[in-house]
Amino acid sequence: MADKAFHLLQALEPRRDAYGFALRPQHIQTYRQYADIFKEEEEERSDRWKNFLEQLSTSARPCSPGEEDKEVLHADATQEGVETIPERLGEGNDSSDKQSISDGSSASDHKREVQQTWAHIRLSLGAIEDMMSSRVKKKTQNMEHEQIPMGEVHLPSIEEEGSSNASEKDFEVEVCLNALNDRVNEDTVENAVGDGVSNSVNVAVVEETVCDGFSDSVDAKENSMGDSVSDSVDAAVVEKTVGGSASDIVDADVVGKTLGDGVSNSVDTAVVEKTMGGNVSDSVDATSRPEQAVGDMVADCVNAKGEEKAVADRFNDTVNVAGAEKAVDDGFTSKPCFPWREELECLVRGGVPKDLRGEVWQAFVGVKARRVERYYHDLLAHTGESKDDDSSGVPRKWKRQIEKDIPRTFPGHPALDENGRNSLRRLLLAYARHNPSVGYCQAMNFFAGILLLLMPEENAFWALVGLIDDYFDGYYTEEMIESQVDQLVFEELMRERFPKLVNHLDYLGVQVAWLSGPWFLSIFVNMLPWESVLRVWDVLLYEGNRVMLFRTALALMELYGPVLVTTKDAGDAITLLQSLAGSTFDSSQLVLTACMGFIGVTEARLQELRDKHRSAILMVVEERSKRGRVWKDSKGLASKLYSFKHDRGSLAEEKKTTEGSDVLAKGDESHSEPHSSNLDDLLDSLTIDPEVDSLPDLQEQVVWMKVELCRLLEEKRSAVMRAEELETALMEMVKEDNRRELSARIEQLELEVSELQQTLADKKEQEAAMLKVLMRVEHEQKVTEDARISAEQIAAAQKYEVHVLQEKYEKAMASVAEMEKRVVMAESMLEATLQYQSGQVKAQSSPRGTRNQGPTNENPKRTGLLSFGLGWRDRNKGESKSTNGHDESKSTNESGESKSTSDSGKTKQTSEGNQ
Amino acid sequence: MGCSSSLPDRSSGRLVGTNSENGGAPDAKNIRVKLVLLGDSGVGKSCIVLRFVRGQFDPTSKVTVGASFLSQTIALQDSTTVKFEIWDTAGQERYAALAPLYYRGAAVAVVVYDITSPDSFAKAQYWVKELQKHGSPDIIMALVGNKADLHEKREVSVQDGIECAEKNGMFFIETSAKTADNINQLFEEIAKRLPRPTTS
Repeated sequence: MADKAFHLLQALEPRRDAYGFALRPQHIQTYRQYADIFKEEEEERSDRWKNFLEQLSTSARPCSPGEEDKEVLHADATQEGVETIPERLGEGNDSSDKQSISDGSSASDHKREVQQTWAHIRLSLGAIEDMMSSRVKKKTQNMEHEQIPMGEVHLPSIEEEGSSNASEKDFEVEVCLNALNDRVNEDTVENAVGDGVSNSVNVAVVEETVCDGFSDSVDAKENSMGDSVSDSVDAAVVEKTVGGSASDIVDADVVGKTLGDGVSNSVDTAVVEKTMGGNVSDSVDATSRPEQAVGDMVADCVNAKGEEKAVADRFNDTVNVAGAEKAVDDGFTSKPCFPWREELECLVRGGVPKDLRGEVWQAFVGVKARRVERYYHDLLAHTGESKDDDSSGVPRKWKRQIEKDIPRTFPGHPALDENGRNSLRRLLLAYARHNPSVGYCQAMNFFAGILLLLMPEENAFWALVGLIDDYFDGYYTEEMIESQVDQLVFEELMRERFPKLVNHLDYLGVQVAWLSGPWFLSIFVNMLPWESVLRVWDVLLYEGNRVMLFRTALALMELYGPVLVTTKDAGDAITLLQSLAGSTFDSSQLVLTACMGFIGVTEARLQELRDKHRSAILMVVEERSKRGRVWKDSKGLASKLYSFKHDRGSLAEEKKTTEGSDVLAKGDESHSEPHSSNLDDLLDSLTIDPEVDSLPDLQEQVVWMKVELCRLLEEKRSAVMRAEELETALMEMVKEDNRRELSARIEQLELEVSELQQTLADKKEQEAAMLKVLMRVEHEQKVTEDARISAEQIAAAQKYEVHVLQEKYEKAMASVAEMEKRVVMAESMLEATLQYQSGQVKAQSSPRGTRNQGPTNENPKRTGLLSFGLGWRDRNKGESKSTNGHDESKSTNESGESKSTSDSGKTKQTSEGNQ
Repeated sequence: MGCSSSLPDRSSGRLVGTNSENGGAPDAKNIRVKLVLLGDSGVGKSCIVLRFVRGQFDPTSKVTVGASFLSQTIALQDSTTVKFEIWDTAGQERYAALAPLYYRGAAVAVVVYDITSPDSFAKAQYWVKELQKHGSPDIIMALVGNKADLHEKREVSVQDGIECAEKNGMFFIETSAKTADNINQLFEEIAKRLPRPTTS
């Protein structure tokens, strides 16, 4: 159903992908091609994950809870399987007790809203969550503004895990404590949560118990909403597992007591469990409550050993010893405590199913372990109160920046409506208040946006906290030191892996950081297609560090390097890479290339390189901050940054050194602990006390000179490189100039040829047309010829007719002539008769006197008639002779004539008869 | 996007680096120039570039993280072509730490402010100083007051802009990416001011 709705959405808005993000117009076609592949992959991976989680829940809990979870999973799967992400935000997630951020986010009902926006992830993911939670550093304690002094003492022992490996030889007495530290170290550094204690120094028993305890605690957590209580400590406590903190205290008490008596490994393990599970934060949160923080208890334990200070100091000194990670790294693969860890890793690389992603990510980041009850709510309440008060709330500049950026975060995304944007604003403001050393940095708006699309608001907040505070610690701070360091590290890796490509880029004048900088800072958001971004994030969040960032960037270079080498121009190279990266729709190929092709790029290696390059960056930063007095607070910020890095230990000194009492400094004062704990000793040696800075001191000059020298050296180096570059460029130019001309000429010639071809084609067409016309003309000619022939025939026929008529006429004439003859004859005869008659009359004269009169009267009459007939005939004769050509009229005349002649003949006859 | 990358051979044999750095380049007809846009967040740097390169204006454009790159070639009256390689940088103050990466070696810097925001004007002056100190010595700088279409909300007068520009030897123009006002003129003026390789 929802699928249908989604397709409808797609049909309506084809410019957005399956996640509701805008597609670039040039990618729509490619996206369509990949959409089916994505769908298939999605189906496949959701099956695989389902099976995996089912297996996990059955294997982890053989008894009834397992079945229960299975049911939950099924329910969840059916409910969520059909949900699309935009809907998830819009309508709310009704699986378990979840509430979507948009639900009830009316500003008036602040309290309810905040409570509603926290949700537990589905139980079936609990095992993963537990595994991941153990690597969550216990920074949460510092979030409370009033800290218990004991907490501070204990803190390093858990947090400063990196030190333990190096220091453990000196602390052999504290095998268990070391085990603890190793574990945490391992987890945080290598993300291999739960793979047990790897170090050779540690007693095997300890490892065993840690492992056992941990897996037991998984069960316990499942049952008791995330309380990790180790079976090995106190079975009774485990069985009870009443509420969160209550059991903790009991547990901790037991631990404390037993520790006081004498150290037992298993008890210590329990402490480990305790501190690594998510409960510490809860108990810290409850500092004001009668229950004491577990932290205190742990500290007590350390106290019991009588060496806690030494331990703490030692930890402080040896943070981030390079070798430590390596040792951990080795041990890490050998002893998986969670047998399914490898399978999970494989699944993660294959991608997390869409409907599970939000919760799986939460599990990876360890949201539950990080969470402090009501912390988010309090942050929001504070930010709300101190609207215009810079000193206690979020500084105005961040607020302004956040306001500017909210509408510019995934503009037009269906889920980021009014409510979505309000959530985003709250989230960012809360974070800025939570960690003033970062505050707000552009790019975080995108991260917060993504997280909000996948999970409820408070969960998203804790995920963001995990991401920025842990994974990207030091990345988005005011000076962005770590991000600059990473760029240098990446460049070195590039030179190592792709020397040819880097040479080419050097030759073009392209710096690697131009390309990789935006990638790293945005964690590929907006740089790759969404499917790929999310796949990269899957692995990145799972691994818990920035290794995936490097691997992905290297993979992109591997994929597109061969094409880049062919470019001839800096602009083209950059544009090409941008557009190629932007169309990396084959996310599986990308992730697999990244994970498989660059296994050698590990956190340990990166850390080594970072340490190597950090000093250069710090120098530049320092120089900038010294020179940058023009700009109001940049120096203050920088020196403050250094000061808090410098004296990580004591708060009192911190107060002394922070001269500028601006907001940031204040914020840092209260928050210095979490950050200071992560910075290495190198920083200490390099940074100068700002107090010294203010005096015109020799030391300052020395440092300044050092910086200057460094800068000059760098300039010289770049100048030399530039000169070489220019030389080669010149040579290349000279070589290629001719080629270019030729190519231009060729182009021109080609153009001409094509023109000629065009005209040729035109000509041919014309010819064909002419031919056609000609044919037609010919045809017409033929037709006219025919017509002529037929006309001739007709003419001949007519001639013949004329001839016939003439003959007839002649005949008629002949007959006329005959008639005339006859008439003449008759006349002569009549004459003769008349003469005879008159002779007769002369002879018989008198007797017939009267009678004679009669005929004489008759006579003139008769001659009159005769003469008339003759005259008419003569006239007709003349007429017929003049109109000889007109056959017809002639014929009619003839007939008329013949008639008249016959008439006259008749009259003659009658007159003869009368006679 | 990939308009120019689709024909990579065309530019073969062109100069490496910007012309200002190379000085006497024989290819006087085809100049390549690295240009960087600097200025406070939200003043419209990306919008100016998008208007210039693609002729589009998107009122809801995305936040720029790090920097983004686009290139565009224009032809001048005297039939020379100028290819601008434009680096559009992120505006937030802390990204200034990364800006040297992009303005180093740039032949042209366009400093943008928003005429409705005095803060952004102050920030522009900061950038000018920064460039004078750390940029190439012969960098060509332009001061651009963007969002000129919002004149009813104007808070930085034209006079202030001109004064600031004159004081620092910059070219000044007010533009509007929204209405495309003066956008092309901006780049054409810059192109005119570029040192011609033949004359040097």
